[in-house]
Amino acid sequence: MTATPADTGSASAPSGGITVLLVEDDAPTRGRLRDALASEPGFTIREAGAMAEARAALDQSAPDVLLTDLQLPDGHGVDLIRETRARFPRAEIMVISILGDEESVIAAISVGATGYLLKDAFPTDIAATVRDLVAGHSPISASIARFIVRRAQREPDAAARPQLNTARLTPREIDILWGIAKGFSYADIAAHLGLSRQTVPGHIKSIYRKLEVNTRGEAVFEAVQQGLIKL
Amino acid sequence: MSAEAQPAGAGATPLPARWPRRRFALLHLSLQAVVVGLCLLVISIPLPAPGSRYAVREATVAGPDGPTPALLPATFPGSTPRRINLALSFTAPDRLTEEWSVLTPRFTNAAQILVNGVVVLDTRRNASNNRPDRNAADMAVIPAQLLRPGVNELSVRLYVWGPLSGFLDTLYVGPDSILRDAWGWRVLLFDALPVVLSSWQVILALVLGIMWFKRRQETAYGVLAAAMALGALRTFLIPPEQVSWLAGIRAAAIGSAPLESGLMLLFCMLFLGRRLTPLFTALALAPGVIIAVAGLAGGPDMARQAFIWPGLPAMALCLGGVAWLTHRAALARRDLVSVLLASAATVLATCLIRDVLTIAGALPHQRIFVTRMAYAAVMTVTGACLTWRFASALNEVDSFAGRLVSQVREAEDKLRASFAREEQRKHAAALASERARLTRDLHDGLGGQLVSIVALAERSGGAHGAQIGEAARSALRDLRLVIDAMDDIDGDLMLALGAWRERTAARLRPHDIRLDWQPLSPGGLPVHQELRPWHVIQLLRLLDEAVTNTVKHANAGCITVSFGSFSDGDGPARGRIIIADDGHGFSGQATPQGRGLDNMRRRAGRCGVSLSLDSGPDGVRVTLDLPARFPETEIPA
Repeated sequence: MTATPADTGSASAPSGGITVLLVEDDAPTRGRLRDALASEPGFTIREAGAMAEARAALDQSAPDVLLTDLQLPDGHGVDLIRETRARFPRAEIMVISILGDEESVIAAISVGATGYLLKDAFPTDIAATVRDLVAGHSPISASIARFIVRRAQREPDAAARPQLNTARLTPREIDILWGIAKGFSYADIAAHLGLSRQTVPGHIKSIYRKLEVNTRGEAVFEAVQQGLIKL
Repeated sequence: MSAEAQPAGAGATPLPARWPRRRFALLHLSLQAVVVGLCLLVISIPLPAPGSRYAVREATVAGPDGPTPALLPATFPGSTPRRINLALSFTAPDRLTEEWSVLTPRFTNAAQILVNGVVVLDTRRNASNNRPDRNAADMAVIPAQLLRPGVNELSVRLYVWGPLSGFLDTLYVGPDSILRDAWGWRVLLFDALPVVLSSWQVILALVLGIMWFKRRQETAYGVLAAAMALGALRTFLIPPEQVSWLAGIRAAAIGSAPLESGLMLLFCMLFLGRRLTPLFTALALAPGVIIAVAGLAGGPDMARQAFIWPGLPAMALCLGGVAWLTHRAALARRDLVSVLLASAATVLATCLIRDVLTIAGALPHQRIFVTRMAYAAVMTVTGACLTWRFASALNEVDSFAGRLVSQVREAEDKLRASFAREEQRKHAAALASERARLTRDLHDGLGGQLVSIVALAERSGGAHGAQIGEAARSALRDLRLVIDAMDDIDGDLMLALGAWRERTAARLRPHDIRLDWQPLSPGGLPVHQELRPWHVIQLLRLLDEAVTNTVKHANAGCITVSFGSFSDGDGPARGRIIIADDGHGFSGQATPQGRGLDNMRRRAGRCGVSLSLDSGPDGVRVTLDLPARFPETEIPA
């Protein structure tokens, strides 16, 4: 699978619509997610139930958004995210999580995902979240924020999994994460830190980007190999 | 070199500021000039004398060519041994009011004094007088019946047995009290003081010897102890008169000055950290050994000859070596101890040169030897310095030990703290791994199934499906709550509330109920280190139930969660959480009943939270006052 310039260039969807590649092996859940998106205008949805299908779909054209489960019958969603990230840098990637637990979400973030979606989210929320993501607003949960800041403030611990490189986070970004972890809204955080409310989502996206393991996710891969991260 | 000697020299006290080399050299030379000047000044101070009216100077020396006049003090060179007869005279008063005595302040080697033909004083009776290096004086009372009014005859038989030429200082004849005063001074200076110095030397030799015995690597201490012991031995040994085996030992011991100076040279080298080869050591000690052997084998005469040659040149060489070493060290190191040692060498050299001049006859009118005393004084000072430094080193060791003890204590404390931290970390890690395991299990099993139920229920549609979907969602929420509550939040309840808010906001959205978040104090809720997951689960479920009640019964548009810390008087700040809705309250019910409310009260009670409920037409308000400290175990209802 090689990325061609044409692929990367086709990320912008025709007629302003958002192309979503939905990868989920559980058929009812996949259908539910598809319906949630299809019920809203402006979404073009392609589906895949396994890695192989997802790859085939990616070969055909570039999606604006990749929405993927992590546990796929023929592989790890983490690998799919990594590949997509490499091939289509402009595509937004979201992981579908059952519990929104930090282990799976952080693993996805470290290979290039910039958001997560709960599998049982309400249909309106699903579409809104995807729209927000395309608009540049990466969602972050309080527990994920908590996980990141607590990891950032602890001494580096080689044994801690999943590995997370928090060294590049700025003090301001850490402040923002603290605010989110403690349940404050973006408006509250912006007011408290003297920012404009609109800039907070941008900061969060930047945080996600900084947490990405750029060396082709070796650390995560290694962790997966050792069975330390069970996705 | 003995490597151990290095620290001895290197550990010297440095001068407050390191001087530039040239300036220091100039300063050092000036200091040595001052030292030489001071030495000469001290030596030139005249010794107490009875007064010139009692002096007897004019003598007639009997010789083979007839009598020749001589003026005391006088030196009598010539062959040895021999006896020189001097005839003198003095005038006694007509009436004696007190005893008269005769004083001979200095003589070489021995003198017999006769008044009117009767021997009144023989210096040979006091054996230590016979030591030419001792500046011995002697006096005797003249029996009254011997004295004649007017001119009296005074004869001196001066015995000279070498190696020095004969010498006789001015004689004094006069009232005993006046003469005894002058004699007393000389005894004090030339008899008592050397004994005192030698006693010090004995003590220091003992101390240094013990130090060396216990610390064999401090060879310098041992060598100095040997030199001191030798010097002290020489002071207390009486010179021999008859040839005997004991006399041989005595002669050897008395002639041991070259051995002592050799030892001093070795000490200096060790002290200054020089290389000491066996050949050099043998050469330095050889003259001393030769003299000792000569003394033992050949008796006093042989020892005496050996002392002159090679003893004296060896001593001069050794002293020269010491002076060279110490001055070089002073110029190179520029520290206090080296400068002190160099100055001591200068003092010794000055005294020795003066004594050599005396012996050579360049200073004909006096015969006071100063080297021995200066040497004894310098040795004593050196020994004292070493002892001082040893004590300082002990102090250093003490303070080092003290520092070590405190460092060890600090390290222990740190270790203990780090143990405690490690325990805590282990505990947290165990909790985290347990939580991770549980999360995975739930994720793989229950979670996935519940999600499928939600999807299937939605797809099946209808009111029944919606109910099933809601129930499954509620189960998923509860799952997330349990997993979240198990996270290690370090007692910061706000972190648990943050995740709760998110879940609750998502849950309220389909019901068109807004969730407002209102901190009442800047810090939010206080941190409770004792907070455990079960406290968190109880509190979050309590909040969930409050929200459920609002959703089910209140017909509200907004739920406001406010929280903050409040201090009542002196106690620590306590947290408070208020959940208020803008619904219609418990309309028609005076006291709110129902399972939800009972549950909430029970949960609050279990973890020491006091719950109060206000219901009015503008909504229900649940106030949770957190305890100052959460209970370790559940409080039974």
